[in-house]
Amino acid sequence: MKRTAIALLLTLTFPLTAAAAELSAADMLKILAEIDDRQRNGGDYKALCYLEQKEKDKADIVRELIVFRRDTDDKLMLLFTKPKSEEGKGYLRLDKNLWLYDPNTGKWDRSTERERIGGTNSRRSDFDESRLAEEYVPTFDGEEKLGRYEAQVMTLKVKEGIDVAAPVIKMWVDKATHNVLKRQEFALSGRLTRTALYPRWQKMFSESKKADVWFPGEIRIFDEVEKSNSTLVLFKSVDLAALEANMFTKAWLESKSR
Amino acid sequence: MKTFLLIGSVVLGGLVGLLALALGLTLLAGLIAFVVMGVRSPSKLTMLLRMAWANLLASRINLVIGGLIAGGTVVFVVLGSLVSSLNDSMARSVVGSVAGNIQIYSAKSKDDVALYGNMGGEPDLTAMTTFPAIKEALEKHPNVKTVVPMGVSGAVITPGNVVDRALERLRALYRAKQGDVVPALKDVPADELAQRIDAQKSHVRQIIKVLNADAQKAAAILADKALEPEVAQALARVSSDEFWTGFDADPFDALEFLENNIAPQVTDAQMLFLRYLGTDLDRFQDSFDRMEIIDGARVPNGQRGFLIAKFLYEEQMKLKNARRLDKINTARTLNERKIATDEELQRFVKENRSQTRDIVLQLDAIKTKTAVELLQAELGVAETDLSALLTRFFDMTDETFDRRYAFFYEKLAPLVELYRVRVGDTLTIKAFSRGGAIQSVNVKVYGTFAFKGLEKSPLAGATSLMDLMSFRDLYGYLTADKLEELKEIKQATGAKEISRDNAEAELFGGDSQATIVAEATPGIIDADKELTGAARKLRNEDLIRRVYTSEEINSGVVLNAAVVLKDPSKTARTLEELRELSDREGLGLKAVSWQQAAGLLGQIITGFSIILLLSVLVIFFVAGIVINNAMMMATMQRTAMIGTLRAIGAQRALVLGMVLLEAVTLGFVFGLGGIALGALVVQLFHAIGIPAWNDYAYFFFSGPKLRPDLSPTNLGVAIGIIFGVTYVATLVPAFIATRVSPLRAMQADT
Repeated sequence: MKRTAIALLLTLTFPLTAAAAELSAADMLKILAEIDDRQRNGGDYKALCYLEQKEKDKADIVRELIVFRRDTDDKLMLLFTKPKSEEGKGYLRLDKNLWLYDPNTGKWDRSTERERIGGTNSRRSDFDESRLAEEYVPTFDGEEKLGRYEAQVMTLKVKEGIDVAAPVIKMWVDKATHNVLKRQEFALSGRLTRTALYPRWQKMFSESKKADVWFPGEIRIFDEVEKSNSTLVLFKSVDLAALEANMFTKAWLESKSR
Repeated sequence: MKTFLLIGSVVLGGLVGLLALALGLTLLAGLIAFVVMGVRSPSKLTMLLRMAWANLLASRINLVIGGLIAGGTVVFVVLGSLVSSLNDSMARSVVGSVAGNIQIYSAKSKDDVALYGNMGGEPDLTAMTTFPAIKEALEKHPNVKTVVPMGVSGAVITPGNVVDRALERLRALYRAKQGDVVPALKDVPADELAQRIDAQKSHVRQIIKVLNADAQKAAAILADKALEPEVAQALARVSSDEFWTGFDADPFDALEFLENNIAPQVTDAQMLFLRYLGTDLDRFQDSFDRMEIIDGARVPNGQRGFLIAKFLYEEQMKLKNARRLDKINTARTLNERKIATDEELQRFVKENRSQTRDIVLQLDAIKTKTAVELLQAELGVAETDLSALLTRFFDMTDETFDRRYAFFYEKLAPLVELYRVRVGDTLTIKAFSRGGAIQSVNVKVYGTFAFKGLEKSPLAGATSLMDLMSFRDLYGYLTADKLEELKEIKQATGAKEISRDNAEAELFGGDSQATIVAEATPGIIDADKELTGAARKLRNEDLIRRVYTSEEINSGVVLNAAVVLKDPSKTARTLEELRELSDREGLGLKAVSWQQAAGLLGQIITGFSIILLLSVLVIFFVAGIVINNAMMMATMQRTAMIGTLRAIGAQRALVLGMVLLEAVTLGFVFGLGGIALGALVVQLFHAIGIPAWNDYAYFFFSGPKLRPDLSPTNLGVAIGIIFGVTYVATLVPAFIATRVSPLRAMQADT
């Protein structure tokens, strides 16, 4: 009986002891690369998203949009479909430029990485493919319980010369599945700017990738500067079928509201 | 500021109280002198008056007292006239430009209306959604002439850099060529379109040439670190003849390459903050007589349109080199400043010398050649580089300035865009709506305007005018229909509400049954089906209904409104009556005077008035003490005379009356003299006009000169204060004089 109890105790404590061990830089980069790779599709990607922004004393901002991605060319386009007043507006990322198009004026404006998509707390990077391993250098902070999940916590600092919305990110990654559960973004000054929670991940088999593609089913974003502001991003539906060859152009987006 | 106003009110109240007390005491003294203390007969009064008159200039002390009274009065009359003239001119400007006599806004508003903004930005006003009913109710008041709806907001304009703008024009031309509807180009024939495309392409090629030259210079200084390889490659590609010969095969592809790879290399884009007042432009232009169109024309009735404030147009939208030249010219001609001795003017010259890029990038190959030839001839040099020629040209001195200033406007200005936005252009304004989302509108710029008397006011000159329909589009007020639409989208999605404090527990808590990863099945997303075409339909309808009726303009959200009165002298009474009307009819309005609505501007005037009152209070307080002391000395000097009077039977009442009457006569004569002198000074200022020595003075004077007018109220108050102060200051010496006994007088003689 005593031996059984010791064996059971050893069995239970061994993984925890192992988990407490510090992750090496290579281990962390491997995790980041895995996170990136899971979300990357070899071919095209299309998602129907729902956006909801809550702000104090204001009516909720509600939007629906379609996200188009062509990961092989690093191209991204967001096309707003609802409500009527927003229909036809869109964002288009070409190389290092993020363009905003408004069919009401027929104008294109060059925007930045920090652009609040549709006036919400979401950003271009929330809809684009993940490039954590390429853009950041991680350091290990330890392990923490996040609800019922055991999470590995790491701080990512942006590499020199790369323009990103968040130069420092603190990230909680599910130890068992390596899914991102939570990320906090900081300004260079160290000020916390927003917290994002990822309660649901979904995966779907991709013919072009010949493997599963992962995407967040839901993102809850909390503004840490204006504490009463928050954004909900729901990925309602995803389609991995091939997109039109020439659609990542200004002309294509303009044509949708003509 | 409220504390300041409170102090002001207390001081004003105190002063009025003091005045009333002084007048009361004067009357009381007269009464006592005549009835109680024996100066009942007119003959005695005549005698006392003669004595007072005889003593008036007999004593040096009286002259000192008289001088003080006269000096204080002059100061009061002149200062009072200046402040009341400032107040009047500002009132005319503010009331006649934007405020009206009274402003109304929703009583539910968090902040008070501030037409020229507050330190912390725009006030938070709750929208009035029943404006037609409010207007109808207010216009029934017999003194209300009209009610003009309005609202103030702001937007940031990012017109892009010079390459962005050139490429945007080229894109629009190609879109028009392929048959798209481009409103600005809809009437341009095909052959002219082709010519314009060629000219625009030539301009872009010239820009690329300049960028290439810059890159070569940078490479010479910084070696291989000057340009990133991909930028260098992009520049090489767009500099090649192949790129331009193949341009027309796929112009949009070529344009995207230029927009994404070349335009970001130019960093001259400037953001411009635009504050605008959305209003019923027809009614506004008819109701506010201080508004005048400077360039262009007024917005046609019922149409959307934009009028840029001239001050802003010159300060923010003009080519910087030209603006600096204007400033140097004004400083030299109006203020007689010299480049040789004035550090600010030297700085302008230095900036003009070093900042020639804006001009260089604006010119295409032909215009560059023309500019080079013109400058070579003007400067008498053989230099061929435009940038170097411009640097030499802008190196101006007092001797060369006038000639070169004229040359710039005659020869160079026609080659460049002097203003970033031109009259007739369509301006895209992008603003955060009330809900926080971004809204954009296109509005045609019909002209520039200024409010007479406020032309140089940075506060008033920072606000442009926009039609109310465009204002509402940008404001993004959610109508019942729009709210219902959002509700339906939310319901269809069925998103769960989670509070921030509880989010982690709810989403990751132990009780949650959800797994972190789930298998998903592909969905079919058809963009064309999702796009209903509703927005396109709305835009097309809007294009058709370009002219709006007065009812359409009034029916919609309004943030505040100007009430213009038939008889402005009854403003205070009408204000009260409108407040009562709002309460009675449940309109839910706050009504405030123009001073309150003008925010900081209105408070500046109140501040001036308070400073005047405080100055007057201090002047007359000091004068009162000096008069008191002087009268005491005068009484002491006349002990013998008073004793003799007492010895020959004069009662104390007579002595009291004599001293008081003497003081009052003194105050009357010198006070009137002071008033006359003060009035003369005011009239002199009025005739000459006090010139505004800088922009701030121009702003406070509401024009280039202040011409003060005499205020009857000020004169009345001046007389009252003189009598009051003289009387109060004389009371103690007068009573001391009554205590002089004949015996003491005789002792004094011995």
